[in-house]
Amino acid sequence: MLLESIGLWGFIAQKFTDFLTYTGFANVEWANIIMILIGAFFIWLAIKKDFEPLLLIPIGLGIILGNIPFKAAGLEIGLYEDNSVLNFFYQGVKLGWYPPLIFLGIGALTDFSALIANPKLMLIGAAAQFGIFGAYIIALAMGFEPNQAAGIAIIGGADGPTAIFLSSKLSPNLMGAIAVCAYSYMALVPVIQPFIMRALTTKKEKLIKMEKSREVSQTERILFPIVGLLITTFIVPSGLPLLGMLFFGNLLKESTKTTRLAKTAGSALNDIVVMLLGLTVGCSTQASEFLTLDTILIFVLGACAFMIATASGVCFVKIFNLFLPEGKKINPLIGNAGVSAVPMAARISNQEGLRADPHNYLLMHAMGPNVAGVIGSAVAAGVLLGFLS
Amino acid sequence: MKRYILFASSLIVTALVMAQGAHDFKINEVSVSVPLCCQMQTEADSAAVCCDAGPVEGYRDEYGDMPSWIEIVNTSYSTHDIRSCYLTTNRAVLNKDLSAPERIEMMSLIPKGDARTNLEAKQRIVFFADGKINRGTLHTNFTLTPGEENWIALYDGNGVDLLDSLTVPVLEPGHSYARIYNKEQDAFVWIDATPDQVTPDAPNEFGENTDDKTAEWKKNDPHGVAMTIIAMGIVFGCLILLFVFFYIFGWILNRIAKLKRVQGIKQISEAGEKIVVMAKEGAETKGIEMENYVAAIGLALYEYMGNEHDVESGVLTIEHHATTWESKEHLMRHTPEIHHNH
Repeated sequence: MLLESIGLWGFIAQKFTDFLTYTGFANVEWANIIMILIGAFFIWLAIKKDFEPLLLIPIGLGIILGNIPFKAAGLEIGLYEDNSVLNFFYQGVKLGWYPPLIFLGIGALTDFSALIANPKLMLIGAAAQFGIFGAYIIALAMGFEPNQAAGIAIIGGADGPTAIFLSSKLSPNLMGAIAVCAYSYMALVPVIQPFIMRALTTKKEKLIKMEKSREVSQTERILFPIVGLLITTFIVPSGLPLLGMLFFGNLLKESTKTTRLAKTAGSALNDIVVMLLGLTVGCSTQASEFLTLDTILIFVLGACAFMIATASGVCFVKIFNLFLPEGKKINPLIGNAGVSAVPMAARISNQEGLRADPHNYLLMHAMGPNVAGVIGSAVAAGVLLGFLS
Repeated sequence: MKRYILFASSLIVTALVMAQGAHDFKINEVSVSVPLCCQMQTEADSAAVCCDAGPVEGYRDEYGDMPSWIEIVNTSYSTHDIRSCYLTTNRAVLNKDLSAPERIEMMSLIPKGDARTNLEAKQRIVFFADGKINRGTLHTNFTLTPGEENWIALYDGNGVDLLDSLTVPVLEPGHSYARIYNKEQDAFVWIDATPDQVTPDAPNEFGENTDDKTAEWKKNDPHGVAMTIIAMGIVFGCLILLFVFFYIFGWILNRIAKLKRVQGIKQISEAGEKIVVMAKEGAETKGIEMENYVAAIGLALYEYMGNEHDVESGVLTIEHHATTWESKEHLMRHTPEIHHNH
């Protein structure tokens, strides 16, 4: 008997020593400390700088949670340990069912009438997807495999759920870094986009006033999700999970008969999924996986993707204007909104428009390409998934 | 009746789904055993052979033997269980006059109760054709004959539906007969796989014959230009189609709205003309007609307020109703009754 051989106090001392080996202090490494500081920085950004707090707070705390050091003793507590609660939550990310649920909420919250009223704005949403493929080309040149390059490049779509969905399928080992990068840059849209927009537009272009959009009938609003679903998923069936849920959510909203469901999808359900998604994505950034050269490259590529997307949206409008008659021209300042950071990118368009002319409100016009960008990036993700999975 | 139709439809759909699952199983690779003296036993006695090609190494079962084997693959992207299906080499089962029990007697059952028979998407399972079913789930009650053609069939659980069949030609020692994807033909073809191409319980992928999309893109599009052109074309295509649809639909709705506006203006114009006529007539009849109009409107309002009127949205109408205005019965006194005194 152990107790008899070492005595009560000896037994207590031994067990206490054992306990100490289980604590975070005994298992901590420098990498854990760095990641915890990064998590704290995200929380600071969210609270002090108001950068996407709904996302950065769960992700920031998730990073801290995922990097609490502990001894691997089969306690079923870690994110990657079978049967742990965190692992259970993580299945939504790993199997890719959180992003479609978020798309359901986005659909239930999105008003597509700006797009329906002026359908040519859809083309801006398509043009901005050059950001994705520009980054894809650069990532290949940097030596990433095509599936990894696709997972990284989707950051250019400026759509967190899409980035998580695609990277979980194509490059699961990079998913944590890709997700954090995508959400970080989405929060940094107000920093990244304005200087590109200013650099690429003339004063005359900034002052273009767009004609008021026509009113959209209820029939058109109801028809949009149905026709949108049919067209996009018949062409790109691999985008079905994202596009299907996006248009489903929108139909719940526009049918006017399922207001209760739309309200739930856009509020309570969406909030629950955002919390779990943010937390588990943050948790997945464990130091051993996250603090690598690949992560730095992903952040560089993410920045490139965002800049290319913004520039291509603005430049596309400038080229498009060459073919449009006077009075029908589009203000290139809404070109940046082709990335699907809704509604942040549209707000930037409005802000830049007002900067040039205090009476030029572009918000409603910019919402068109902004929501088209959501569709465009989901289609692009579907194409990449279809080609590379 | 509706319930029965729904129930019947559900049964049909379920049956179709089940059948579809079983039909996803395909024979994927077959190897016929070589005589024992040809089999490589140990490094020491490897020289003692009876084959020209020398000692042959092969896939061994859990007992260390090298019997013939049949690899079956689940070609679908869903999990299906191959339990209760049958394997056979007896061509007599093709006789359509045989009953299901008679056929089943000539087959080797894949038993239930073994988790290994539950095949995930694209997963494979290898059965040893050694005629020793007492050795476990993965052993069949028949053998394959070296030096001859062997016909192999996979049957569904009912013993009647043929899922897949194959005639394996005479193979050289150590070779297998493998089903591979041929890109040029965009179809699966059977090849005589050399010993270095034999892949029991692994994908039949070697050389160019791979369906690894990533590898293909990496090889053929190392700079990503083709991907960019195709993918952007698709993204633009989708959104252009949406643009065209809603542009045309919006245009049609606009036209309809304009037509309605024109009709509305026309109706107002006609109503205006009527008012002019009424006013003119009123003036000519010194207001007599006008008094009638006022009385009618007054009556309508009176009845509406008294809930005696039918209501139509935004329109006051006069429903036929017996009132004191038109009912002579109400205006007349009753004839007094005469009471006779007895």
